[in-house]
Amino acid sequence: MNKHAWLLALLFLCTALSAQNPSRVTIKGAVIDTSGDETPLPTVMLLNPSDSTLVNFTRGDNNGAFSFKNVKNVPYLLKVSYVGYLPLQQHLPASATETNDVGTIRIKPITNELMEVVVRAAKATLSIRGDTIEYDASSFKVPPGSTVEDMLRRLPGINVDADGNISAQGKDVKRVYVDGKTFFGDDPKAATKNLGAETISKVQVYNEASEQSKLTGVDDGKDQKAMNLELKEEYKKGAFGKITGAVGTEERWASRGNYNRFNTKEQFSIIAYANNINQTGVNWEDYGEFKGQNTFNDYDNGDFGFGGNRNYYFGGEDSDVPFNNFDGRGFTENFGGGANYNFDNKKTKFNSSYFYNQTELTLDQSAFRQTFLQDSTFSNTDTSSRLDFRSNHSISSRFEQEIDSNNVLIIKANTRFSHNDARYNQAQYFTDNNDLPSNSLDINNDNLFDSWRLSGSGIFRHRFKKKGRSVAVSAGYNGSKSDGTENLFSLNRFFRATTITEQIRQLNVNDNTGQQLKSSLLFTEPLSKKWFWETFYNFARSNNKVNRQVVDPELNNERINDLSVFYDNTVLYNRLGSSIRYSNNGLNATAGLAAQNLQLDGAYSIDRDMPLLTDPIQRSFLNYTPNFDINYETPFNLWLGANYNYEINEPQLSDLQPIHNVNNPAYRIEGNPNLGPQRSHSMGLNLNYWNPASLSNVGIGAGLNLYDDQIVYNQTIEVIDSIGVRTTTRPDNVSGGNNFNLYLWSNFPIVKTKLTMNINGDANLGKSLSQVNSIENETFNKGFNIRVGFNATPTQKLIFGLNAGLRLNNISYSIQEEQNQQIKNYNVDASVKWQFLSKSFFESNFNYAVYRNDRFNFNQDIPTWNASVRRILGKQNRLEMRFAAFDIFNRRVSITQNATQNYVIRNIAGTLARYFMLSASYNMRGYENKINKNQWW
Amino acid sequence: MKQRIIVIALLLASAGVQAQEIEGTIRYLVTHNWSKKMAAVDYISKQQRERIAYMWGNRSEWKMFANMYITPTVTKYEDSEEKAEPDDEGYSWRKEVFMVKHDYAANTMQDVVQIFGKTYIVEDSLRAPEWKILNDLKEVAGHICMKASWTDTLKQQKVIAWFAMDIPISAGPERFYGLPGLILEVDVNDGGMLVSADKIDLKKITTELDLPKKLKAKKISEAEYLALLKKHMDQKKEEEEPPFWGIRY
Repeated sequence: MNKHAWLLALLFLCTALSAQNPSRVTIKGAVIDTSGDETPLPTVMLLNPSDSTLVNFTRGDNNGAFSFKNVKNVPYLLKVSYVGYLPLQQHLPASATETNDVGTIRIKPITNELMEVVVRAAKATLSIRGDTIEYDASSFKVPPGSTVEDMLRRLPGINVDADGNISAQGKDVKRVYVDGKTFFGDDPKAATKNLGAETISKVQVYNEASEQSKLTGVDDGKDQKAMNLELKEEYKKGAFGKITGAVGTEERWASRGNYNRFNTKEQFSIIAYANNINQTGVNWEDYGEFKGQNTFNDYDNGDFGFGGNRNYYFGGEDSDVPFNNFDGRGFTENFGGGANYNFDNKKTKFNSSYFYNQTELTLDQSAFRQTFLQDSTFSNTDTSSRLDFRSNHSISSRFEQEIDSNNVLIIKANTRFSHNDARYNQAQYFTDNNDLPSNSLDINNDNLFDSWRLSGSGIFRHRFKKKGRSVAVSAGYNGSKSDGTENLFSLNRFFRATTITEQIRQLNVNDNTGQQLKSSLLFTEPLSKKWFWETFYNFARSNNKVNRQVVDPELNNERINDLSVFYDNTVLYNRLGSSIRYSNNGLNATAGLAAQNLQLDGAYSIDRDMPLLTDPIQRSFLNYTPNFDINYETPFNLWLGANYNYEINEPQLSDLQPIHNVNNPAYRIEGNPNLGPQRSHSMGLNLNYWNPASLSNVGIGAGLNLYDDQIVYNQTIEVIDSIGVRTTTRPDNVSGGNNFNLYLWSNFPIVKTKLTMNINGDANLGKSLSQVNSIENETFNKGFNIRVGFNATPTQKLIFGLNAGLRLNNISYSIQEEQNQQIKNYNVDASVKWQFLSKSFFESNFNYAVYRNDRFNFNQDIPTWNASVRRILGKQNRLEMRFAAFDIFNRRVSITQNATQNYVIRNIAGTLARYFMLSASYNMRGYENKINKNQWW
Repeated sequence: MKQRIIVIALLLASAGVQAQEIEGTIRYLVTHNWSKKMAAVDYISKQQRERIAYMWGNRSEWKMFANMYITPTVTKYEDSEEKAEPDDEGYSWRKEVFMVKHDYAANTMQDVVQIFGKTYIVEDSLRAPEWKILNDLKEVAGHICMKASWTDTLKQQKVIAWFAMDIPISAGPERFYGLPGLILEVDVNDGGMLVSADKIDLKKITTELDLPKKLKAKKISEAEYLALLKKHMDQKKEEEEPPFWGIRY
């Protein structure tokens, strides 16, 4: 290396000496117009001839004379630029003398029409490539449907005669190319007459050597004009998609696929899936590719005022596309598919999608439940099986038009048809205080349910001339209708009573309709640059008609009057509020007050045309709801927030009906027509800190709810001769309950970029009050949850994860303190992703879960281990083969433990255990040939 | 190298003399596009970047204003108080501390920047990047501009600048400078960030060029600043995370 360098240096020296060029030079000259006019103060640049890098620049004097003093004597590209003139470039070899006088440089003006029409009027970029001048033709507006020929007529310097013959700068254009290629033969008119003007981005006109000189290689001086039309990027369409098929042991199979086509304005996609491996919907990645630009939406339901802020949301409750949200219990067979179309040209956004999905669930589970009374306890053991078929058709559309910069209109419409067919068998076995059996209950219910829902809304926003002043109006309609029949059968067997068996048959026919009309208004007035005053008004009128007719099939389908009801319920909601907002440099605070009126009207009868059972119920609630919210962003990456509001939730319709539901004779659900809304003080505090230098995060938050009027479900538990132990629940309002929660999360590196640790914890403390047989029971619930995890990436091809969690739940009951108990769930999870060959991956996950409740001596451990190997094939990585083993130990079941109010329940359900699966996938875009540290969708 | 700087400084100074009449405020509209910024991060897989572009589309854009105060020799660029987005749903983010003050006569910079929430003042001499001059012309805010390009290998940015042929000041928006005319438009990474002059208001400048008196900032040199930046860029690459949060794009 060194030797070479010396040699090179020597060589240079020799050349320099032999040429005897000075090392420094003064370059001078003058710039003048081709017609001899003066061009004062021209810009003159010295560029590196190899890559046009700017080395030096200067400005000429009033006569156009310029000089570069004492610059390095190397070859340059001398470039002259002057407003209104074509930039001129000329090669400047190294000079033999100390002064290099380049003489007079003549620059050519840009024709007036190019300058005025192209650059100034159409704002198009003018590009000079040697003798070619090209410009962005899309800047010239032509009516939709115009051909390229129509557009060319508008371009300066180009003439098109009646026959479509083109000439540029006075010379005939002999050839027209499209993206540099001849377009359907030699006729230059073929392209210009047939291509749409909107497909062209650039027009280039240049001199082309004649055919003769192309053949001979000798320039005959007979240059001819040629034209190149460059196609717009967006007309170069794109498409992607993938398809997967998989078969496994235990009769397992799965398949799914999606296909998308798009250009810059439009996106179209289709998706389909089918499986019996408990994938009940799409995952987030599939959802994003299906919805495209409509994945993220303005959460704009038009309910202005407190709690109605605009946010981005992803999918969500109301999503028309089902997510894979299987709860881990049972076996499902799933089918689904849909199509989506998006249009977006920045001013107009439109999208529409259709989706169908169905899931058939087969679920066998057993539950153990113990209920505490003031002086006794009883238990029941249930085994149940459920066959549940659900299907949905959803259509959703959204239209947004930016009318101009001050007016925006949004219209949304969604509809959904649902069908549900469920069969339910349950065997309950009751034991008393002394663990002696009392009775058993067999329940056999069939449900058939069809429903239809429609919702539509419109939002209009107007911004006034005064900056910050705006008004928004919204209107919406929601309608729903459902029909259902429930065929109920129960058989109650007693072990110690005089009645030995009791049999109930019942047929319920339900017919519900709901309609809601709502509207909101929001007015924002800026008080200054930082202070804003907002006033809003919300109105909603909801009407529900519920008709539930219960008949006895044993008695010629005669109506059972005390179980049948028709009720017509109207809720009128009015809210008027106002708030003051301060927002400046990271500090945002709002304080406001609203007056809210809820008016409930209910009329109840046995059937639609029957006399009312009671006088119509009319209740009105007026509440003043204050709201405070403050967020502060400190200069050192610390965010603080605090909020308070008075929350009001109207009672659910089913809680208001003055009739009981006895689908299970041992568990009666009663409504309470006098139930008032739930009201609570709700407050929260949160803190987030991010340290970008050490790459660590901390978040702490706390929330407190104090109930003024909590809706609770009081229980009456009695022994009825024909039923055994019967529980009746009835909702009522009670004050004094509360709930406090605290959370903490943090992640930080132990070894930067190699090993990170994360901690998550939360605590929940709550007091709930309810009555059991008219005696007040205070239940205190203390829940703790902590999770610690490590993530290691020793190399780009290996990722380890390890985390452990502990969940504790302490419950104490005031009516029977000896029943206080602790539920424990432990969980350890280890995972690895390893790219062991350039295109081969190994992925594995091991989980060990422990479920414990010492009071019942319950202790169960469940280890689950999944592992898979996959390999990407093909030059473009488009094929993937995968072999996966699920639950290798064959131990998977679903266990949930829960304790509230005056009972504790444990549920064990069977689900998909060990199976092996082989899958093949094809991806048009190719599979990623690496392990991703982060999933950016 | 040093010699070149001196030459440029001299030239700039002489250019300044000729352009004495130019003094005023230039308002730039700054358009950020998150999915286009992601598209330029080459260590995030192509599949993920394509998916982001497909899902975000036009929704990943936000706009703001910045002002540049110019005199023939001294310029200062900073974010504007004025909001470019309609603020009827206003949430005010903390304003990033960012001020770029250049003195082309003295050939010095005083750039107040924030990295990860810490404020620094970069005090150094001006060293223009190696711009390539291209043969394209277009009009920006009423001025005919010529195209120049530069590749920032440290920040992984492809920069296209348009400089006015008739405003002989070598300044520009953000930290871009060093062309024969005032830069009126900059496009970074094909629309990741587009800074375009939209209003030129020529009038006498008074106190606008002053840096705030209460300024808590650590003094560093350009080399130290670049070293901090490099450390950050390397770390983000290792983490496979986008590098543009926490630093000025």
